[in-house]
Amino acid sequence: MYNYVEDGDSKTTAYVEKDTNKYNAFMNRIEAGEKIEADDWMPEEYRQALIKLISMHGISEIMGALPEKEWVPKAPTLKRKLGIMAKVQDEMGHGQLLLRVTEDLMKPYGKNREDLIQDLLNGDLKFHNVFHMPTKTWADAGMVGWLVDGAAIISQTNMLDASYGPYQRALQRICAEEVFHAQHGEAIIMALAEGTPYQREILQESLNRWWPSLLMFFGPSTAATTGSSKQDVMIKYGIRKSTNEELRLAFLDKYLPRVFSLGLTVPDKSVRYDEDTGKWAYQQPDWQEFKQIIRNKGPRSKERLRLREIAYENNSWVRKALAPQPATH
Amino acid sequence: MGKNEESGFYQEYEVFSKRSVKSPIQHQFSLLAPNEEMALSMAQENFMRREDVIDVWVVKRTNIRSMNSQEREQWTKRLNNKDYRTTKGYGYLRKKWREKEQGMLDEKEIMSWKEVKGT
Repeated sequence: MYNYVEDGDSKTTAYVEKDTNKYNAFMNRIEAGEKIEADDWMPEEYRQALIKLISMHGISEIMGALPEKEWVPKAPTLKRKLGIMAKVQDEMGHGQLLLRVTEDLMKPYGKNREDLIQDLLNGDLKFHNVFHMPTKTWADAGMVGWLVDGAAIISQTNMLDASYGPYQRALQRICAEEVFHAQHGEAIIMALAEGTPYQREILQESLNRWWPSLLMFFGPSTAATTGSSKQDVMIKYGIRKSTNEELRLAFLDKYLPRVFSLGLTVPDKSVRYDEDTGKWAYQQPDWQEFKQIIRNKGPRSKERLRLREIAYENNSWVRKALAPQPATH
Repeated sequence: MGKNEESGFYQEYEVFSKRSVKSPIQHQFSLLAPNEEMALSMAQENFMRREDVIDVWVVKRTNIRSMNSQEREQWTKRLNNKDYRTTKGYGYLRKKWREKEQGMLDEKEIMSWKEVKGT
């Protein structure tokens, strides 16, 4: 479901490709709309940007399944339980697809899936800000499906024409399944919005809590905000089309009218549609807090990483049992 | 099990599936699995959660001789001069038959001959 985390840590340095002939031929291919494949020559900067983007996307799918699966035993009806189980399974499936894409890109460095999992557990591989946050009520399960997935759909559909073939193909499948996720979330939200005063109350409370995370989802508008930004590189190489700010505004455009139509409010008094600019005006979230969250200092960062670690340890015997060479100890 | 012991555990498999008896086998994606049986089971979980499917193939990637980057480039840039192999090279016949007040037996017409009148 999720992609694109601004990492906020690594410094952006100007990239210079040594082999200008190859570089120019590569850029011509991108401009002609050709798709780059895993074994094609590609500039180091392109490979690195893809690895960073797609590993974060893949790992975030898996880390995103963790807070969602907590709601499987607590879902209010059998139908809701089946729906959310299907969604959790989809997220794990998306993670598998995206890790495969990343692994093929990392091959020249001799890195594989174990390295990715270790990087995650060490804190070197970051996952999306929204999955560092707690879920408190059933309304959160709906909110994640409706608006968190909604935000993900905005940023992922922006890459449906991405220049990198394997990622572009994975995204076609992922986005098609996201349509189901979005409607699954809408169904939960709609039931609560048309429900009892208590149901409406937990819905509003959930939206108030998720609002800053939803704005943060798209990353800061410029590198100046958090020290680094990969958006220019992504656009230069035809991986995505729009800037973080354009995507955030597109999200507000599509979803705010729906939020208000349900009688909900957002916890930002300055939110209004500016007729002159044709854009929503809103208050920026706290980008320093964002930086802390994605450095695994969010409210649930440690617990979620620990869950992943436990799953990895608990399944170790399966890997051992299936290993082609029996373990020697 | 430490990292070094685990390297070599996963094999890369390419997954293909067939939607119906009439459809060709289609490439889905790749996956990692320790053996063929697990690969087949993972293929089901990863790619066939909703789709109609009547057959699935998993093929170890090392058993596929695919084209490399240069070979793909050669094939996509080959000359477009094969009209003589296609009906396009014989399109002038339509006009000739029309002069003789006959219709063209084109692909659409011929492929419609599943049933012969009177049988």
